[in-house]
Amino acid sequence: MKIAVQFVFIIVVAFVLELFLPWWSIAVAAFAGGLIFNSKANFLAGFIAIAFLWTVKALLIESNAAATLTDRVASIFMLNKPLLFLVMALIGGLVGGFAAMTGAALQGNKRRNYY
Amino acid sequence: MKVVKFSISLVVTVGLILFLNNGWTIKNIPIPPLGKFLDPFHGFWQNIESEDQTFAGQLDIPGLKAPVTVRFDSLMIPHIFAQNDDDLYLAQGYITAYHRLWQMEFQTHAAAGRVSEIISNDAVLNYDRSQRRLGMAYGATRALKFMESDSVISHCVNKYTEGINRYIESLDYDDLPFEYKLLDYAPEPWTPFKCALQSKNLAQTLNMGDKDIEMTNALKLFGKEVVDLLYPDDEKPGDPIVDNPGGWKFKPLSIDTVALAIPAELINVKKLPGPDPTTGSNNWAVAGSKTATGSPMLSGDPHLTLSLPSIWYAIQLHAPGINVMGVSLPGAPGIIIGFNDSIAWSMTNAQRDLVDWYKIQFEDQRKDKYMLDGKWIPTEKVVEAFKVKGRPVYYDTVCYTYWGPVTYDETFQSDNDLSGYAFRWIAHEQTEEVLALYKLNRAKNHGDYMDALNHFGSPAQNFVFASVSGDIAMRIQGKFPVRRKEEGKFVLDGSKSSNGWQAFIPNEQNVAYKNPARGFVSSANQYPVDATYPYYITATSYEAYRNRRINDVLGKASSIQPQDLMRLQLDNYNLKAAESLPYFLSQLDSTKLQGAELTTFMTLKNWDYYNNAESVGASYYEAWWDILMPMLWDEMSKEGVELQRPTTYQTIRLLKEQPALSFFDIQETSEKETAKEVLRQSFSKAVKHMEEFKVEHDNKVDWATYKGSYIGHLTRNKALSVPVTTGGNHDIVNAHSTTHGPSWRMVVSLEKSGVKTWATYPGGQSGNPGSKHYDDMIDRWTKGQYFQMLFLPNADSKNPRVMTSTTLNPASK
Repeated sequence: MKIAVQFVFIIVVAFVLELFLPWWSIAVAAFAGGLIFNSKANFLAGFIAIAFLWTVKALLIESNAAATLTDRVASIFMLNKPLLFLVMALIGGLVGGFAAMTGAALQGNKRRNYY
Repeated sequence: MKVVKFSISLVVTVGLILFLNNGWTIKNIPIPPLGKFLDPFHGFWQNIESEDQTFAGQLDIPGLKAPVTVRFDSLMIPHIFAQNDDDLYLAQGYITAYHRLWQMEFQTHAAAGRVSEIISNDAVLNYDRSQRRLGMAYGATRALKFMESDSVISHCVNKYTEGINRYIESLDYDDLPFEYKLLDYAPEPWTPFKCALQSKNLAQTLNMGDKDIEMTNALKLFGKEVVDLLYPDDEKPGDPIVDNPGGWKFKPLSIDTVALAIPAELINVKKLPGPDPTTGSNNWAVAGSKTATGSPMLSGDPHLTLSLPSIWYAIQLHAPGINVMGVSLPGAPGIIIGFNDSIAWSMTNAQRDLVDWYKIQFEDQRKDKYMLDGKWIPTEKVVEAFKVKGRPVYYDTVCYTYWGPVTYDETFQSDNDLSGYAFRWIAHEQTEEVLALYKLNRAKNHGDYMDALNHFGSPAQNFVFASVSGDIAMRIQGKFPVRRKEEGKFVLDGSKSSNGWQAFIPNEQNVAYKNPARGFVSSANQYPVDATYPYYITATSYEAYRNRRINDVLGKASSIQPQDLMRLQLDNYNLKAAESLPYFLSQLDSTKLQGAELTTFMTLKNWDYYNNAESVGASYYEAWWDILMPMLWDEMSKEGVELQRPTTYQTIRLLKEQPALSFFDIQETSEKETAKEVLRQSFSKAVKHMEEFKVEHDNKVDWATYKGSYIGHLTRNKALSVPVTTGGNHDIVNAHSTTHGPSWRMVVSLEKSGVKTWATYPGGQSGNPGSKHYDDMIDRWTKGQYFQMLFLPNADSKNPRVMTSTTLNPASK
């Protein structure tokens, strides 16, 4: 259950931060999610949360797109469109995953040192 | 343990973010900062426009004096209504930047030799060095001097600049044009200097052609007689642009006739690539006596290397004293080609030789001094710094002389440390083309047009004109040096100032005429004038085919409709093939042909000489020609010696008239070939080549497939370019070759009840590959269809094609 709340928390916070801050704010959100919830699978929660958020946002843009820029970008990277989405999700996911893990590790430290 | 785990994961996270926030270059391929670029909240996804995307309804822009209304039509063409000139140009700058910011900055970087600040590799650095060594910025500085000195133009350029900068200031990373994100950099402030650079850019494309080095080498290797045979000044294929024998009733300027000193040696220089020799354009105007409406009509289609974002930006500009529409160059205020309530005009390139190279003799390797008129004169050394992306600054010293910059010396494309070649170019002169266009945009009649053109110095153009009041005219305008016979064809001795340009042809003596008896005027880059014109004229080459076809069609036409002129712009008749193919085929012994060769022979024999998209004959003819040319002129492909092949027209003439010409012998064989043998051998090679092509292309050999045209993106990234299926070719009125073609097609009917215009261009108004307006006109352009231009009389006029309106309001900074 905790991991589900953590997952939702990271998505919501990352979404809000992304409205005002650059892309790396996803790390801040995932870090906070790790720090506050410290579930059994912090990396997984951070990874999937950001990968999910980015994929949904990208799909929303893509669903209403008037031009095929995504195909062109995929082609620049010598990929196809699904693979471009995958790479994007992977990149966001990795940052989210490691940031959540870092947050959780910090909380772990606190617990051992102060309680 | 936990401390260790925390530290490691922190380092990994921060390292990952840093890695993904930075651009990298892997194997010369730049990789954008992946995190930043792929983030859907800020990265490239934000450049994807939705179906219903519109321009914001209201905008506050500091610097405006009064509100400006901008209405966008269904093609995203802006119609700007301002209450004064200053606001008009500020709004033009702002709106143009909104659609084309990246393009205009990139093009000025290219002009100034600064591309390596964005894309870092050796080829780009070499390109940048060449731009600096050609004095592009040096010419732009002089153009800027004029812009600043003229009270009207300084306002116009400064306000345009201000508009661009207001737009740049409004951007954050999300809104940056796609290419900035891809190449990982940001725009810098625009300046009037960049407007000047844009005009030098055009001059480089159009007025930098020369063959001086090639001709000097040919003179040394083959002698004067052969040079005159292979490279005549006037090939006389048909009518000149202005045929007015005996009509030149003025006293020409006379200059001394000293014999020119030409270095009698091979020029040891690896020449920079020049402009595409097939660059050309068509324009014509027909008098009311030849049209169905009784009003004049005017057509223009400038041919350029087609690119995306599109070369041209269509726009209507309306303010007290001006209501003009047409195409602008992003980065330059006003309209370049277009029409207003009273007149229309278009341009083709005036192909005149406006480039000279002077051999410079340095005192010693330090190049501090050079010889001029018997004295050692100090060179002016300019140290050019190149801020190459991700590399240390590169420095290059360029020596300036009496003639101009020394482009070629032992540090660049040459290896002689005691001599160099200085570049004298018309676009280094101070010229006033911005003022010319400012006036032309407001011209009401033929007198205004003539007055406006008096200010046009470079790049020299053939200006076609027609007016609602019924006049048609042609004027070849630019700053033309008065040349002695043969001057300009060869490299000159730079140690004598008497070898330089002594004077310019006065404006009123430039080639021009009005309302000729034949009822039309036309130009297609052919030889400019009849033999009675009293000045010597030479050029790299003059066009030989399009002009004759145009004059032939227009000469026969009567009761002309606008559709007839569109059809002529799209005409695929290959006059060159009609004049050469029957002769080529007569040289083959058809009784001995078999298999694919026989089939090809029959295909060619039955071909109608039209390079239509689906034509198969056209593919075989063009393949044959492309293989034949280098075989005929194999002497011209010498390692280390720059030479130029004779023109297509002259080649065909020589094949027919002098088939045993020694040049036709293929050097690498021991037999002695004549035209007949070379034609036979090249035919076999062409057939073989086409058989291979068939295998690689699903048996498709139609002309459009074989030609493989595409419109490339300015970064040359294939993923951003668009393939197109079209007919035509160079030397054909519809001059669309693989990469090159009609960049704007316009037909104007100058009716008393209102000027009507149909036009199209291969691209779209938006420079954003994420917009549907990036390439939305390409399809129609490809099919040869036109859009009727919406020319609004005022800001409130109702029209169903106006999609959105925006008000730009004055605001304090």
